[in-house]
Formats: sequence, C-alpha cells, structure tokens
Amino acid sequence: MASVVLQRLSTLIPAERILTRPAELASYESDGLTAFRARPDAIVVPETQEETIDIVRLCHELGIPFVARGSGTSLSGGSLPVANGIVIALNRLNRILHIDPTTRTAVVEPGVINTHVTQAASPFGLHYAPDPSSQSICTIGGNIAFNSGGAHCLKHGMTANHVLAIKAVLATGEVVEWGTGSREFIGPDWCGLFSGHEGLFGIALQITLQLLPKPDRFHTVLAGYQSLEQAGDAVAAIIASGLLPGAIEIMDALALEAAKAAVHADYPPGCEAVLIVELEGPREAVEVERTQLEAILSASRPVEMRPARDSAERLAIWKGRKSAFSAVGRLSPDFIVQDGVVPRRRLGEALRKIARMASESGIRVANVFHAGDGNLHPLILFDGRVPGALERAEQLAGRILKMCVEMGGSITGEHGIGMEKREFLPDMFSPAEIRLMERIHAAFDPKKISNPGKMFPAGTAPSLQLHGLHPLEKAGLASRE
Amino acid sequence: MSPTLTPSSVTELRDAILASARVSIEGARTKPALIASAGSSIGLRQLSGITEYDPEEFTFTALAGTPLREVIAALDSRNQRLPFDPMLVESGGTLGGAFASGLSGPGRHRHGGIRDFILGIRFMDGEGRLLRLGGKVVKNAAGFDVPKFFVGSLGCFGALVDLTFKVFPRPPAQLTLRFPTQHVEESVELITRLASSRWDCDALEIPTGARHVLARLAGPNRALNLMASDMGRALKREFTVEDPSIWAAMAEFAWSPPGHALAKVPLVPTSAVECAKVIGSLPTMQVHFSAACNVAFLSWADPTIHAALQTSLAQLGLEAMMLRGDPGGWCMGRRRVTQIEAAVKHAFDPLNRFPTLSR
Amino acid sequence: MLHQIQTDKLGPMGSAMSEAVSTCVHCGFCLAACPTYRELGQEMDSPRGRIVLMKEVLEGKLPWEEAQPHVDRCLGCLSCEPACPSGVPYRDLISPFRAVAQKHFKRPFADRLRRLLTRVTLPYPRRFRAAMQAGGWIKKIGLWSPRMLRPMLDLIPANLPAAQTWPEFTEGSGPRRARVGLLLGCAQQVLDPDINTATIEVLRRNGVDVVAPRTQGCCGGLAWHTGDLAAARKFARQQLDAFPADVDAILSNAAGCGSAMHEYALVLRGTPLEDKARCFGKRVKDVSSFLHELGLVPPKCSWPIRVAYHDACHLANAQGVRDEPRSLLRSIPGLELQEISGGEFCCGSAGSYNLDEPQVAQSLGASKARAIIDTRAEIVASGNIGCLAQIRMHLEQQGSAVPARHSMQVLRDAYRRESTG
Repeated sequence: MASVVLQRLSTLIPAERILTRPAELASYESDGLTAFRARPDAIVVPETQEETIDIVRLCHELGIPFVARGSGTSLSGGSLPVANGIVIALNRLNRILHIDPTTRTAVVEPGVINTHVTQAASPFGLHYAPDPSSQSICTIGGNIAFNSGGAHCLKHGMTANHVLAIKAVLATGEVVEWGTGSREFIGPDWCGLFSGHEGLFGIALQITLQLLPKPDRFHTVLAGYQSLEQAGDAVAAIIASGLLPGAIEIMDALALEAAKAAVHADYPPGCEAVLIVELEGPREAVEVERTQLEAILSASRPVEMRPARDSAERLAIWKGRKSAFSAVGRLSPDFIVQDGVVPRRRLGEALRKIARMASESGIRVANVFHAGDGNLHPLILFDGRVPGALERAEQLAGRILKMCVEMGGSITGEHGIGMEKREFLPDMFSPAEIRLMERIHAAFDPKKISNPGKMFPAGTAPSLQLHGLHPLEKAGLASRE
Repeated sequence: MSPTLTPSSVTELRDAILASARVSIEGARTKPALIASAGSSIGLRQLSGITEYDPEEFTFTALAGTPLREVIAALDSRNQRLPFDPMLVESGGTLGGAFASGLSGPGRHRHGGIRDFILGIRFMDGEGRLLRLGGKVVKNAAGFDVPKFFVGSLGCFGALVDLTFKVFPRPPAQLTLRFPTQHVEESVELITRLASSRWDCDALEIPTGARHVLARLAGPNRALNLMASDMGRALKREFTVEDPSIWAAMAEFAWSPPGHALAKVPLVPTSAVECAKVIGSLPTMQVHFSAACNVAFLSWADPTIHAALQTSLAQLGLEAMMLRGDPGGWCMGRRRVTQIEAAVKHAFDPLNRFPTLSR
Repeated sequence: MLHQIQTDKLGPMGSAMSEAVSTCVHCGFCLAACPTYRELGQEMDSPRGRIVLMKEVLEGKLPWEEAQPHVDRCLGCLSCEPACPSGVPYRDLISPFRAVAQKHFKRPFADRLRRLLTRVTLPYPRRFRAAMQAGGWIKKIGLWSPRMLRPMLDLIPANLPAAQTWPEFTEGSGPRRARVGLLLGCAQQVLDPDINTATIEVLRRNGVDVVAPRTQGCCGGLAWHTGDLAAARKFARQQLDAFPADVDAILSNAAGCGSAMHEYALVLRGTPLEDKARCFGKRVKDVSSFLHELGLVPPKCSWPIRVAYHDACHLANAQGVRDEPRSLLRSIPGLELQEISGGEFCCGSAGSYNLDEPQVAQSLGASKARAIIDTRAEIVASGNIGCLAQIRMHLEQQGSAVPARHSMQVLRDAYRRESTG
C-alpha cells in the first residue's frame, strides 16, 4: 500500500489498529466461503462511528477500495477482501447503545453480535427475531448488508423487516439518517433499499432494530420420515391447513449424519428425512394449534414423532439444525453451501432433480432447507485435494441454480449474491434491469470503492484464487512498497 | 379532475408516458393530496385484475390499478389475507395506490406493514422500459430491494404495472375488545403494556378522543375468549366486546368528516402523549393513534391552523404525509434533505419524467 | 480447509496437525467462544485465525515469528472445541505446533529467563517451595524485582502453607468399593497441599483405597502446553511407570494434569511408548468423575451454604466434565449451587499463561472475579489449582474475602460437619 495512504490512515486511527503484517493480512483473507481468498493491503479497525466515517471519507478522497467486515461469516464471499484495497473491520463497534422496552426497540452499532441483541432484550421479555444459523457470532451490520434470514423468517420475515432506522456513511462520504425508530415512515423506504445492498452503498453505523415480545409458548415437533417426499407432503398439508408455524425445516439423511456427529443430536433411526415444525404464540392458541398439527403430522405417517417436552429439548432440536452447515465439515474436507429458492410446492421435484444431478456427477449433496418458504440449502461435498473436484462441484452448483430460476424461484434466498453467484445475476434480471441496478449503485458509489466486485457479473471465473503476487508483480512489471 | 389518459394495456401505458415530458400517475384518487399537480395525469384504473394467485405458495400478482376490494375478496375466498389491513378499500383504493403511498392499517402492528409483504414489482420507467425487480417467491435476496424502496415513493420513480405480494392464512377467528380509559396517558400506557404482552394482539388502536383502547385478538376461536378473560384479569380492567364492523369503518377513515384534511404521521410511541397534547389541542383537530402508537392519523377542518400545525410538527420532530386537504404541499413538518436522494432519483428517472418529492 | 502442508516433513505430530486444519471449514463459530477474541477483537487472536496462521507457517508461507505473538496468546482453554460444529480437534494442533515451533520462536532474554525459572522450579515441589519462599521474602521486604518476575510474585500466597507429604497407601474405610492411584501434582503440593489431603479423605470415606506412588512426578502438562516436548516426554515416561496396574483408575484432582495425561498418546506419538500411553490415558479420570460414577456417599449433615462453581477449562472443555462436580456438590444437603455468569470464559490462569501473557490474564481474571462476586456466593469451588490461585488473587484485588476452595475440600468439610454437628 502506498505509504502516503498509510500515513493518512495513521492520522485517523492509531497505528496498532492498522494491520499490515503478513500474519494479519493472512487472517482476513477469506470469510465463510473459503473457495475465495484475497489479500488486502491493510485491515483497519475503527472503534467509533467517527473513525469509521473518517476512514470512508479518506477512501473516497483517494479512491481506495474498501470491504466492510463484521465476523466474516458470509457464505457468498460478501466480505472477501479486494486486493489493493483495505478491509474495514467493524467488530469493535459493538456497543448496544439503548434498549427501550416502551417502544420495543434496540439501538446498536454494526459490530453487535446477533444473539447479543436478544440477550440484552431478554430481561424485558423481548427478543430480536431474525435468527441466521451463525447468529452466535454474525453481526448486525453484516445481517443488514445481506438481509440475512434464518429459520424463523417464515413468520417473522428477514432482517429488513426488523430495521426501523439506519445511520450510515455512504461511499460518497455523506452521512445519512433514515427512519426515526417508528415502525412507519414517509417517502421511499431507504432502510429497505439499504438492507441487502451487499456492502455496495456504504457502511451502517447505528441501527434501530425492532424487538418483539418473546413468544409465550413454543411447541416444537421433530418428525422422522422414510423419504424426503413424505416429509415434503407433510409440509404441504401443514400449509394447506391454514396454520402459520414459526418455522418449518427439513434435513436429509446426510445432513442428519453430520449433525449427529457434531452435536450428538438424537434423531429417529432409519430416517431419510427429518421435519422440524415449531408453533409459537399465546399458550391458549398454541394449545389448540398443537392438536391440529399433531393430527396433520400423524396423518403423514412419520416413522416417529417427537414433540419437545421442555425448553432443553427444544434447544437441542435447534442446535442440531443450526450446526448442520458447518457440521458437514466432518463428512467432507470441503463443501459449497447453496441457497436457492423454488416455489414451495416444487420442493420435492427440486430435490429429486438435485439428487439425480448429484449422482450423475458422482458428487454427494446433503440437504437442509427452510421447507416453509422453499429456500433450499444443498451442501455440495467435495475434496479439494482431488484435481478438478472444485470445478466439478461448482458446475453442479451452477446447474442447481439454473434449475431454481427455471422453476420460477431465485438464485439466492438469503445469503445474497456476493462473490459466489455474480455470473448468475443475468439469469434473474434482464440487461435493462441490471443497468438500473448499476445506476442505483453508481448514485451511492460513483467511484466504485465500496465492496467492489460483488453482486454484479465480472469477467473473471468464480474459482480464481486472488492470492499471492499480482500477475503484474510476478512479471516484474509492478511492485509494492 | 379526471386523468387525461387511462391506458388499459402496457403498450398504451408506454405511449401515454412517452407522450408528455412530465407525467403523474394516479389510481382511484382516494388520497387526492398525493396526486402531483404538474404534468399530464395518467390513471391506472384500467390496468386492473389479479394475474396470478397461488394460495399454496402464499403469493399473488395483480395489476397496479386493481381495486383493493377485489384483491381482498379473492384472498378471503381462500382463507387468506393481507395482514396489514389495507385502507380505503370500500372507497375504491387501488393496490398500486396503497403501495405507492405506503399506507397500512391497524393490522400492521402484528406482522408488519405493506412494505413487509411486497415481493416484487414490475414498473415502467421514464423511457418506457418495463422492468421487474424482486421476484415472485416469498424468499429472495437477489439484487437490490427496489420493491421495498418503492413503498411510499408516490410515483416518483416510475409507473407501477403489477405487484407481487406475500399473503398469510386468515386466522380462524377475531375478537375485538374495548377498554375504556380516562385520558390519553392511560390509553398510551395500556397500549404499551399490551404491545409487549404475551397475547400477541392483532391490532392496537386509540380512536379519537382517547377515551378507550381497541385491542383485536386473532387466532383459534376457542383460544380467544380465554385470552380475553386472562387479559381482563391480568390488567385488572373491564372491557366490552366490540362489533367487528368497526374495522371496516376505520379502514375508510369514517371518523374523519368529509371535507376535513387527513394526514398520516409516523410516531415513536413515546411521543404519542405529547403529540396528543400539543397537536390534539389545535382547533377542530382529531387524532387517532394506530398500530400501537406508531402512527397518528390527524384530521382537521380549519385551514387556518396549518401554520400552527406546521410549527408543532417541526418542534416535535414529526413529519406528516397528507392524504386529503391542501396545506400547500403533500407533506408537512420536519424534513431531512440528503444529497443521495437527488442522485438516486436521477438513477431511476434521468429524464425527470415523473414528479419529484420536493418539500 | 484446503491446505498444502507437507505432513511427512513434520515428524510424528504432522498428521495430527494437518488433520485438524483439514476439518476446519472457517465458519467462525469459534470466535464467539474465544476469550482472546473477546478481549482483543482481531481475527489473528481467534481460533479460526490461529488455524489459518499455523496452516500458513506449516505450509512454509508465513515466517514463524509472524505467527508467534498470536499463537503465544492462545490460552489453550479449548473453549473453541465445544463451539465448533465441524469438530476441529484444536488441541491436536496447538500443542504439537508449539512443540514444533519451540526451536523457531525467538524470545527476549527476560522471557527466556522467566520460562527457565518456571521450568526448573514448578515441576519439582521442593525447588518450587524454595522459590515460593524466596519470592515471599522479596514481596514482604518490598525488594525491587524485575518486571518479568512480577506476575509470578503476584501469585504467591501471603502465607505459604506448611509442607506436607502423604502416605503411599491409604485404606478406604468400610467395605472396599475401589482402589485408585492418585496424582499428587507438583505446584499444588506447595500452593495448597490440603487439596490432596482432602481428596484422600473424601476417597477414604467412600471406601476407596488410595495409592499415591512416591515414584510419580509432574504430569508434564505445563511443558506439553508450552511447547517443551522433550520435558513433556520425560515426565510422561516417568508417569507411565509410576502407577501400578492393579488400580481401577488413575485419578487427578487438578484439571490441567488430568487433561494432560489424557494427551500422553499424542505427546509420545511416534515413540515406542505410544500404545502404552494410550492405554494409560484411558485409565485416567478426574476425581469428581470417578466419585460420581462410583456413587458418592452423601454427607449427612446439612450445610446451608451458597457455593459458586467455576468450570476449569481443562475439566469442562478438555475432559467434558461439567455435570459431575456439580452433582457431587449438590449432594451436600442444604447447599445452594450458583452458576457464574460468563462461566464459559477462561479465568486467565491457563497453566502458566498468567505469567506469560499478564495483560490478557489480568483482564480475564478481573472479569471472572467480578462475576463471582456478583453471585453473592460464600465460597467459590473449582477443580483446578491454577484456577484457584488466579481466582484467589483477583478476588483479593477486588477486596473480596470469598474463599476459593477445591471441590474436594468442600466435600471433605461437609463430611467433617458430621462429627462436629
């Protein structure tokens, strides 16, 4: 990095929070999507909103690309650094500034960990609803940038549905405040537009979140089925009945194997699929609904039905489900997590197609999904040490995504496009629509410095590992100071 | 004044847009204060009809000019609903109009407002291009969330053609309870208490006068009476059961006399009491608190209070969107101006074909 | 994670390290559990970051000294292991790496001197006692001491307990229910010899014969966890021979020691004693686990006291022992057991960490003491001498007089009330 840039940065934050040593750069090279790595020139670690604003303004002035990062858990490469740019680590902006039980809101900084919001709200009988599986470590800033979902968004919606106000520094350096902390607003929904901007507009500095009363009662049932088909039919029956569960999840046999190994989850033996349904609400309502649910489930002929008898059993069911992604690390050295959506009723068809495509390519695929809203997470398992395995896995991933689009679904339900699915954006949007999004992007980020290279298609192939010397450096035509 | 043009197809819409340097879009004119005065007006009432409805998928798509009553009837026949209680339904309001004005009703308290149920839109831009943003499935994170951005955008970025919404199952039963109160402080306190309670109220309103609170419960029939009794016991309050027809009347703002101005004011609940005292005390002013005091609807007759109202709103840090009446603009009160809004407006509408949200 | 580690070039520990790296999927769940990430807030000082650094060093891509500060800062508390959905055996990476790194890591003279001092005194009770006494004098006289000695001096108790020895054989009272070997420890013998006395007493009361061989020595845990492979192997070999075959189990009452002995197969990997070490490891149990399995004879006398229980990392994370000590304490009639908020975070003792990384240790220790004070407990109990020493010091620093006691001491005291009550 040019020494003048480092020198300017050091006027904004102390040198010990500008990380440039090899060990420091190596640590931030990648996020939750390890197929991509890129070494930034530096990582800067602000501790206040003011420092963050100053850093972004400096980047705007000097045209330095930057990537904001919370805990680096993105599954789409959303916080992949940019070579010749900096990473702005927001994890130390982690203050919960205010919890207001009267307005049921929380005002937080972007580095606050998702579950910490609920923990802080809990003494007031409130909770923060969006629950991505990485919630023990992922940050609110990252949740907003990618409009994170989670198992409970069937009933409660995604992150965007719980954001009431945002103060942000845009890539132009302008600091804006949108929303007032009211659940209603006037004029265009700026907070809505900023949610899911994939880091391309700027950095959120202070966020007002909506808190909901803790559900009075849960009724969580785990049901094992002999086939994925049967589990899918059970879901259709639940939906048709008019019940609105808080969550409906399915895990297939491979995913169950992983979860069992990871957290010693206890599943009914001999099942090809497990269905998790959770009702929530006032106890009087849940009492009535649980009878309805149990009748529906019994009629679907499960191998075994296990209602959780207490809070500990309920948490164990969720622990198994939420560990599933990372747990497949026990089954395979490497994997790709996907995030496609198909219309809910075509889930069975989609799974059959995936199974067929997988066996044709000789690749194992585990399936975990939000059955209630058609959001699939195929986990494509491969061994990166085998030549060509990564490429084959990516090809299968691409075919699955195309299938989702063909079925009228989406290439991403909640993980966002990031780095991973850029080339598929034209499958979802026409050139004119992509141009509109580019113009919107340019309004926020005319210099293209904010998380550049994400979301929009680029010329490079997805598996390029941007790591080590730049080709120009290798050729001896350029060097860095 | 009737609109100049009422296209009945996408092609006709394109011709209408390209025919004038400036255009403004309208639906059923149920919110006349929000219809821009400059430019040729284009009415979308003939772009009407539900084009797709898939109850199993919890989604439907309808053209922007479709009357809300038609949408609601179709959903109702399949035991589904738009949980946010669209407003101005019997008055003939359109889906596009509700969306472009961002107007949600009492039901927004429980599951969210109109912005929480939009999945995708198709709109025509100032150059006659038909663009689709968002999608048709209930979960979709691809691309920028332009559909949400259009909520409340008052037709400034383009002309809505069709909208895809998520729906929910209609609860099996509803029960509305009326709790008498002595004054606005007590009403607001009761609302606050109920909003954080375990009973998961479907709607929480303080009608004008603030002498009572309405709490609507929704769920399985058997559960509702039990919940109501428990509420009365826990709150140590008397209540009466209210006729469900009040909600239909409320959706039409029946409490605001004809000819009165009407405005929506987003509120942080802790400002409700001050709002009632400062604004509510203006001559002829009526205040209805909606969505657990997250919105105040204001209704007044006397145009000479405009200056005082403007001052009070600004002092309280509030902003009002006019629905009916003409104080000399579509909004009142405090307004934050940003540089980004001009840049984004330009990104959507470089030719400035559509109105600008000027204050 | 994909890696290019040349496993065969790394000796017998190579495959343990590269397999651990392979299992990691870089998901980041471990960051939530890591005390140093919480304290320092940067990726290099998190388990995920350290795995990347160790990988890069082993691949030859990163110089040893670049990774050193971050590897040194790892507490070895293993909180990351239960948090990891992929099951990365972090312990199979950190200690072998430190062993391999020893000849590459450079340290300033003062650090090397301090480590030498620790190495030659701590594992040898007589020498350690002498060093403690000398240190105690320095403290009392208020003599100037070099900065690098201060953390050590801080840990010296105001009054060193009198030296004690224990019989090689203690017969259980009543019908014999079991026969066990007991590790007497090293630092523990000097800092709080009553823990051993209490342990033997509790076992005796439960009908257990206790064999405490004289030929035993230090378990080598400290050496193993700080990269001194040669010393660790020496101590492990000594231990393998010290305990007779005819005991039902080999018990430890110090979490750090118990967990180290479970790792002997890794310590001695690639040597002819590897299998013997594995068998030995299987016979090692924490005394609380053993008693819980055996079935504790519950104390008869009521003792209405509020006790906060502190999970030693090397008991909870390394050995998975959480419920057993709690269950034993709860068997004391009238006792109210209190959980400590933030209980999953290390107290900062971490073997000799509080000597090597005093700042982080200070911050963790202070937080732990505050959390203990908040429980308003009358006693804080734990199963590890290192934790007890650290907690005692920090409670004192915050003006609290709450005693820190080993679970065995609490049990023994409960039994004693039967004769006096």
